[in-house]
Amino acid sequence: MQVFLEYLFAGISNGAIYAALALAIVMVFRGTGTINFAQGEMALFTTYIAWGLTTKNVPVVLCLLVATAAGFVLGAVTERVFIRPIERKSLLATLIVLLGLFLALNSLDGILWGNQNYTMPSLFPNSVSSFVSVGGARLYWANLGLWIVVAVLVGAMFQLFNHTRLGLHMRATASNRESAALSGIPVGRILMLGWGFSAAVGAIAGILFTPLSPDALGLGEMFPILIQASAAALFGGLDSPGGAVAAGLLMGIVEALLSGYVPAIGGQLQEAIAFVAIVLVLLVRPQGLFGSKEVERV
Amino acid sequence: MTMPSARSKGSLPLQINQGSATHRSLQGLGLAVLVGLAFMGSMTNSFQVGLLTQALIYASAIAGLNLVTGYTGMLSIGHSAFFGIGAYTTGILVSEHNWNPLLTFIVSFLICFVFGLIVGLPALRIRGINLALVTLALAVAFPELIDRFPGLTGGTLGLNVNLTQLLPPHWTGIGIQNRFEYYYWIAAVVLALVLVLCSNLTRGRTGLAMRATRDRETAATAVGINLAWIKVYTFGISAAITGVAGSAFAMYLGSLSADSSFTLILSITLITGLVIGGVATVVGPIVGGLAVIYIPHWTEGLRQGQTEGLFFGTILIILMFVMPDGLMGLLKRMSRFVVQIKPRAPEGPSAASEELLVGSDLNANPDSEGKGDTTLALS
Repeated sequence: MQVFLEYLFAGISNGAIYAALALAIVMVFRGTGTINFAQGEMALFTTYIAWGLTTKNVPVVLCLLVATAAGFVLGAVTERVFIRPIERKSLLATLIVLLGLFLALNSLDGILWGNQNYTMPSLFPNSVSSFVSVGGARLYWANLGLWIVVAVLVGAMFQLFNHTRLGLHMRATASNRESAALSGIPVGRILMLGWGFSAAVGAIAGILFTPLSPDALGLGEMFPILIQASAAALFGGLDSPGGAVAAGLLMGIVEALLSGYVPAIGGQLQEAIAFVAIVLVLLVRPQGLFGSKEVERV
Repeated sequence: MTMPSARSKGSLPLQINQGSATHRSLQGLGLAVLVGLAFMGSMTNSFQVGLLTQALIYASAIAGLNLVTGYTGMLSIGHSAFFGIGAYTTGILVSEHNWNPLLTFIVSFLICFVFGLIVGLPALRIRGINLALVTLALAVAFPELIDRFPGLTGGTLGLNVNLTQLLPPHWTGIGIQNRFEYYYWIAAVVLALVLVLCSNLTRGRTGLAMRATRDRETAATAVGINLAWIKVYTFGISAAITGVAGSAFAMYLGSLSADSSFTLILSITLITGLVIGGVATVVGPIVGGLAVIYIPHWTEGLRQGQTEGLFFGTILIILMFVMPDGLMGLLKRMSRFVVQIKPRAPEGPSAASEELLVGSDLNANPDSEGKGDTTLALS
């Protein structure tokens, strides 16, 4: 029971991060109709910014705020400068630009901060003894704090989508851009905001996740998470925020239990499993569990 | 045939009929220049020959990618995996089973063709963004899978082929110290075969079907194109070509490590090369292959790895904005101001009986057709 709980806690933490990033992916997809390959690298970039600030003895909370704001700006600027002019050309062009952004951001991280890995200080007490005992298993404050922040974040995003004027505009833009524009919604600004919010969510996720293990902040940190989060977003349905969050959590938990109890496939083959999951989902139910079917007008 | 378009004689653009003596000799000249360049390349010092060999190998791999991404419009981020499968096929067959390296190319072609078909299958239901995601995951999963089966692939330690098994055979007359020249010619011949295959494939019916699939799927179905067949077949051929390039790479390198050679970065490099050279052009992949090998080589002094990545990433973005057709696309457009190739009149079944008459008739009065048709057919 104790071992099971420890796997479960680890799984929920990973799952919460997948869920947050999957939500970010879905927010971009609903607006622009692409998966942002650079989503993970944007989060990594802002996490580096936060880490850089902590080395200057800035309190972690302040670093979080600054990095989130930086993420918001990064996302919004990306949409305005790189995506909007190219997206009407073709999906292929957009995807290639995003790949370029992915590569450029990651390399920029390497140039600015070097190849070595760093340990990111946690927002929460993070010493060896800062845990509560649940059924004999250790639940660290950093994990618990992460769950709470992600839950609040996801709640806030849903509040934003469903109960504000801005959210209404976002949903209208996602459902039919032209009609939204005709009814007076500033579609361009809404798309920019969507990308901004999505990158900000990613930034928070990166800063919460990185302190969970020592030496975690490195150039290759976010990419595997992006793959898992994309799989989760697909699984839940690319246009369904609720589905993405549920699928992200589920993936984290299943993955942790698998790698705990079936060592032959866990750990070493995480990405391969995500790949198989993606292919299976797309073959059996391309719209995902909660997504809506794509209908094409001829 | 006499010069039919006397009107434009001497003034630009020159008008040349497709298949005319002038056109044929121009093509022959171009070919001769390429062969000459290939010989000049083999004369350089061994370091340059090595770089050129890599460029030629990458050019073949990019030509494979071009079929799927350029002509058929399906973005594949997974071609590093096919390249790797080809390389490992050669590596394993030569080192474990003592095969003649050149024979393994055929096996690579077949194996990668099958893998391509398998990856192409999801493409039937999955389009655009989702297909990109599937191939992305394939690229990421490939090194993991290689590491997972160390008995077959050498795992994280890598796979080393004994040098004596990769030496040039006696009839080539190339000694052991010049063996890179041998790899260079293998890469060059592979590339030549690949380009002939691609150009034949894309000029014919299949090529038209591929482009129609890319430009408008629904319309392509409506004119009777079998979308499923075209997509799966293109993926198969494309993977097979990239796989053969991987085989040449294995011969050239002699030691394989999935974590350093066949990662996502390779896929992005191939895409970058394709975009630099020119999407959906025959010669574009050569330019792209040279670019992705020589640009990092020239910028090496700055800071290895990261600078290259930043440079490629930035170039990829900038190119999509200012030169989405790549260098060859640009050249093609520029050359239209100098030379225009008049396409041959189509030979429909009804025209077949009076082929001679119709053919010469249309060729004799190309001016009446107007320039609109020419540019349409060329674009």
